[in-house]
Amino acid sequence: MSADVSDLSLVRRVQRGDKGAFDALVLKYQHKLVKLVMRYVRNPAEAEDIAQEAFIKAYRALPQFRGDSAFYTWLYRIAINTAKNAVVSRDRSPIEYDLDRNNSEESYDMQGRMKDAETPEGLVLTDEIRSTVNAAIDALPEDLRTAIVLRELEGLSYEEIAAAMDCPVGTVRSRIFRAREAIDRRLREVFEGGLGRAEELG
Amino acid sequence: MSEELDSQLSAMFDDELPPQECELLARRLSRDGELKARWGRYAVMGAVIRAERGVRLNAPLAHRVSAVLLAEPEFGASAAPLAPRRGGVRWWQPLAGGAVAAGVAAASILWLRTQVPVSGPMTAAAVPSAAAAQAIKVVGPGGADDAGAYVTPQAAPARAVLVPSTELANYVVAHSMFSTPVARRNLLSAFMTSEPATAGTEDPPDDAKVDVKADAH
Repeated sequence: MSADVSDLSLVRRVQRGDKGAFDALVLKYQHKLVKLVMRYVRNPAEAEDIAQEAFIKAYRALPQFRGDSAFYTWLYRIAINTAKNAVVSRDRSPIEYDLDRNNSEESYDMQGRMKDAETPEGLVLTDEIRSTVNAAIDALPEDLRTAIVLRELEGLSYEEIAAAMDCPVGTVRSRIFRAREAIDRRLREVFEGGLGRAEELG
Repeated sequence: MSEELDSQLSAMFDDELPPQECELLARRLSRDGELKARWGRYAVMGAVIRAERGVRLNAPLAHRVSAVLLAEPEFGASAAPLAPRRGGVRWWQPLAGGAVAAGVAAASILWLRTQVPVSGPMTAAAVPSAAAAQAIKVVGPGGADDAGAYVTPQAAPARAVLVPSTELANYVVAHSMFSTPVARRNLLSAFMTSEPATAGTEDPPDDAKVDVKADAH
């Protein structure tokens, strides 16, 4: 499967005047983008502001996007530049910490708690979502859990997962889909319970 | 929501859906709120699995971006990067028109040549060979007055139906101002090689043709 084909189909729709397609791109990459920006700024709320600015810059620049590079890569470059400019304009030093060096669970917990402590509601809601997803993953049959983790954590393609699990690609697709369905059944309850706002985009 | 649709959505999220299906699903995704919400929850799952700890999973970022973009102008077809540039179109439009005209002329020539045997007065099935077509009249066993006698129409010589070579050549040359030299040369060479009389043979030099005429006299 050619890389970035789904993003490109959404991008082309936006370029033809379909703003709704851009929502899908934002939903897909918002967490990754905020995580990326948080390498440069400390405050999660500020990181979200910068990520928002990056998305809007990307939208405005989208007519010039030809698809030579992946949309994901292009968006990340915009976000990094936006974050650097924000840091310079506010005369702050970027936090150039390396995730690989600080990848212990304890370090993540500490950083996460410190940031979430600034927004208690966000802490509660995020924790509930996280615990719900983790509980759903733990309850999955092993083959489904392995497939979804290899995909989301390791970033393997379906073909690579099929080779790793010694099964057809179609089986991988089915396992990942069924894993997501099982997790989504629980997650939807959290969001529909008024805790999330993803539904508002509809 | 159908299971097949959800399965496609999951595959599209992972960039593992065929492009044609992606196009269709992207259209639906941009308009279907329920589908979009599910898409958003897939992203949340990924963030949890990757342990993106500092990120608020319920952040209304997408909602905020969407609200800001409401005030933004939509990109029309003219603004799309795939649209041709204004300045770049006009100068080659006459050439394109000429190329189309030359193409039509070439197609007409080829069509005429391929259609002659079929559209002529006799088909190959009716006349087994050209020599048989020369038999003008076939008389039945009873003589000339026999009711079984029939007359086979004389096959018109194939060359008679064809557009004369000179006319074709003149046509191509007359329209040469609308085609490139290479296209013109290709046309003429294709035309020359398609001549039945000379197919597979090399044209004699001009002086040889004069000699033949002289011999005839």
